[in-house]
Amino acid sequence: MNTPTLAPHESMELHEALNFKTLCLAKSKLMQGLVFDQELKALMQKDVLQSTQQIAELQAIYARAPFQAPVPNSPTPITH
Amino acid sequence: MNTDYQDPINSLNMPEMADMTFAMDFLLRAKEGVRNLSISLTETASPDVKALLRNHLKQGIALHQEITDLMIRKKWFHPYELNEQYQLDQLSAKNMVMIGQMNLFPDDTSRKGMFDRTPDEHIGGHNA
Repeated sequence: MNTPTLAPHESMELHEALNFKTLCLAKSKLMQGLVFDQELKALMQKDVLQSTQQIAELQAIYARAPFQAPVPNSPTPITH
Repeated sequence: MNTDYQDPINSLNMPEMADMTFAMDFLLRAKEGVRNLSISLTETASPDVKALLRNHLKQGIALHQEITDLMIRKKWFHPYELNEQYQLDQLSAKNMVMIGQMNLFPDDTSRKGMFDRTPDEHIGGHNA
């Protein structure tokens, strides 16, 4: 399989795209609990599903960043 | 200006106004996503990265269109009736400034006592 390492600037774009998507997913998910309009809620749910898929695709390519490292399985984040 | 959040007058039209605010945030996120992806596309070289970003850009544009259509239909967004939009803009700003001046939350919001351990305990960071 041909999977060359990404250039640093491409990796940075993916870093930003992934973090933006992650925050958008969080917001669309959380706001569904606050929204009154059911059509708006449905559209946010669509965004949740679409974002989840997009995050998976971004993660797959981001894994080829030159600074990639093994990610622990534990759900506890590294905050130090 | 009314700064009493318990005054029932403040709940008048609240669901509509809240939904309009959430929808506007949603719209701006979609728009920012489209712009970010467009910029990223001109910064990348690998064909598969470009293909992925272009694909996400298309989905983002479609979602932005859906949010716009919904907001226009619900009369939360008036791209053609600009004086309607002007009134909404000014009222939203005024209303949010008023909410911004309310004392809505208790002084201590750390809520640390609700957790059985500190978040950084596993790395020995009690005082982190």
